[in-house]
Amino acid sequence: MKKSLLIAWKDFTIRVKDRKGFVTLLLTPLLLTAILGFALNSVMGGEGGFPETKVGVFVSDDDDLAEAFVSDVLPTIVFVKIKESKSEEELRELLTEGKVDVGILFPKEWSSGVNQGILKSVTLLEKPDQRTKTAVIESMLKSYSEQVQIHAVTTLTVMNDLSASVTASTSEINMKQVASEIQLELQSISGGELKEASIGEKNVGSMQYYAAAMAVMFLMFNMTLGAKSFLQERTTETLKRLSMTPTGKASILLGKFLGTLFFSFIQFIVFFGATSTFFKVDWGSNLYQVITVGFCYSFAVSGLSMTIAAFVKEEKTTDVISSIGIQILAILGGSMLPIYLFPEGLKTIASVTPNKWALTSFLDIMSGTTWSELFPAISILLLLGFITLALGTWKLKTN
Amino acid sequence: MLQVENVLKSYDKNEVVRGITFGVHKGESFGLLGPNGAGKSTTIGMISGIITPDKGEIKVDGLSIKKNALDIKRKIGVVPQEIALYPTLSAKDNLMFWGKMYGLTRNEAIKRANEVLEYVGLSERAKEKIETFSGGMKRRVNIGASLMHKPELLIMDEPTVGIDPQSRNHILETVKELNKNGMTIIYTSHYMEEVEFLCNRIGIIDKGKMIALGTKKDLFQRLAEGTVIKVGVNKLDELFLNKVKEIDEVGKVIPRPEDLTIEIFVTNHQKVVGEIITLAVQANVNVHSLEVNEPNLESLFLSLTGRSLRD
Repeated sequence: MKKSLLIAWKDFTIRVKDRKGFVTLLLTPLLLTAILGFALNSVMGGEGGFPETKVGVFVSDDDDLAEAFVSDVLPTIVFVKIKESKSEEELRELLTEGKVDVGILFPKEWSSGVNQGILKSVTLLEKPDQRTKTAVIESMLKSYSEQVQIHAVTTLTVMNDLSASVTASTSEINMKQVASEIQLELQSISGGELKEASIGEKNVGSMQYYAAAMAVMFLMFNMTLGAKSFLQERTTETLKRLSMTPTGKASILLGKFLGTLFFSFIQFIVFFGATSTFFKVDWGSNLYQVITVGFCYSFAVSGLSMTIAAFVKEEKTTDVISSIGIQILAILGGSMLPIYLFPEGLKTIASVTPNKWALTSFLDIMSGTTWSELFPAISILLLLGFITLALGTWKLKTN
Repeated sequence: MLQVENVLKSYDKNEVVRGITFGVHKGESFGLLGPNGAGKSTTIGMISGIITPDKGEIKVDGLSIKKNALDIKRKIGVVPQEIALYPTLSAKDNLMFWGKMYGLTRNEAIKRANEVLEYVGLSERAKEKIETFSGGMKRRVNIGASLMHKPELLIMDEPTVGIDPQSRNHILETVKELNKNGMTIIYTSHYMEEVEFLCNRIGIIDKGKMIALGTKKDLFQRLAEGTVIKVGVNKLDELFLNKVKEIDEVGKVIPRPEDLTIEIFVTNHQKVVGEIITLAVQANVNVHSLEVNEPNLESLFLSLTGRSLRD
């Protein structure tokens, strides 16, 4: 173990002394965090994770279900601010003046046909530049309508079956339950970021988002840096020389792994400290959670570096992985654009990227989460680290 | 100190080392000579414990490499053919790192690094990065890294490749001094003059086999036709070559069409030179140069294999 630590410390020292690497791995992410954080502040709704969405509503009559949506369901979504209008004209005016982002027009007797499973069409008024917000409200409304129809029709069916002459009543619908179900549906639609806003106590701002996103993205470069360090040792024959010392193969490989792990983790800590100090980024109230996720992610990245080192023969290949592969992973994992903007297919693909798990975990921590909420992501990152470390070590040992 | 017995190594049916046997005594300076690709580095790799022999046995101080690899590695210092150092670390940091890899404590490593830097003549540049050094200086640090743990046996694999004469002389003098101080040395090279200068006993490897082994004196005695006369001619005339071969004192005659020269191995060159010139005139062959080379390892290798060491 002592020899492994020696090798790890040597690798760490070499990387710290590399000015180009220092700039790439620390200054660049800080700079990008600053640029993206400030630039997308308004787009991402200032301090809100999902941007604050001002919803104007006009209910044409005293429709119970429409009122229930406005008073019981919409307020449960933290990023939604409701403004009720007295007329359709007023609603359109609010939208034109930019006082609301989305308008909902409930027609007269919207839910009069609910017992037959029929709801009239609701008009959604949207601003062209607020398409995402409209899409989210549309999803909520659609989900609510479906829930209401199901409840009503089910109730009617049961009543008919019982040969009773009681009509379904809206008062029998548990609005809290409906709201909760809608939230769940929205989470699945919008990915981790929306979940962040809807479950956590605090919202995540653009600066926070990009601090986490850049940390995760630039830590990924250690995958190729670690692999490259191994290939360089092979090229310069220092690896051969290490093998000539009274040190076992396993200790040498462990040392190389630990070198990448140390550097990745220290890089994360420095980045965390720098963003907290200079950009006042709030990484959440639980420092242990931040450090744990940072460590687990560094572990996964270091494991991947060993696998790359085992399967790649030339340094040039690691450069290609570094320049193209990491950028693809970064985009998929939400480091460039928030995942809730992705189409469904891409959201699914994003789940196979380690950076997505790390990023969503950091965002969860920022908004306030529990250890049990973090457990799946931590487990996945550690498992990925162990599997890739074992695979890389096995392959390198047999080489 | 070292016993190598009938060692074999193949890579994909290609036999690189084919049953090599030799021993090195304590305090001896042993030269392993052979052209590129002869199997020297593979042999060194097997002694160093980084290549596992397919067959045979290697023992250092009675310990088998198969069972006591780590113990043997502690006794051995290997100077690899490549500059196996970290270019962005300083000379001292490199030396300290390699010292610690052999079990030196931090304080021991600092003390020993200063001694070694003094020894290789680079104390003044201790804190400078290796990447700023000349090839010769890098070679000296490369050797120094292997001396950090004061090995009993120092194996040097072509340590002077591609360096200036001044650094080369410095390295050779350093090796000579190390041996004088009691360190056992195995020195591999395809520069026969280095091996001749440094080593008491020499083994010559070619195509994975030990083709000659003994002291310099033994080897030169084996070389009956020790002197080589190199004749530059205008044509390689068959009749002339046959006539030269018929001279009693002449052994091998090797015509070299690439530079129109003939290498003639002779026992007594003073007696033969005149006769060769006469035969050339008779055969209408113009002789434009004539070189007489005293016996050396180069001529020994040539006589044993018909090829030059640097071929």
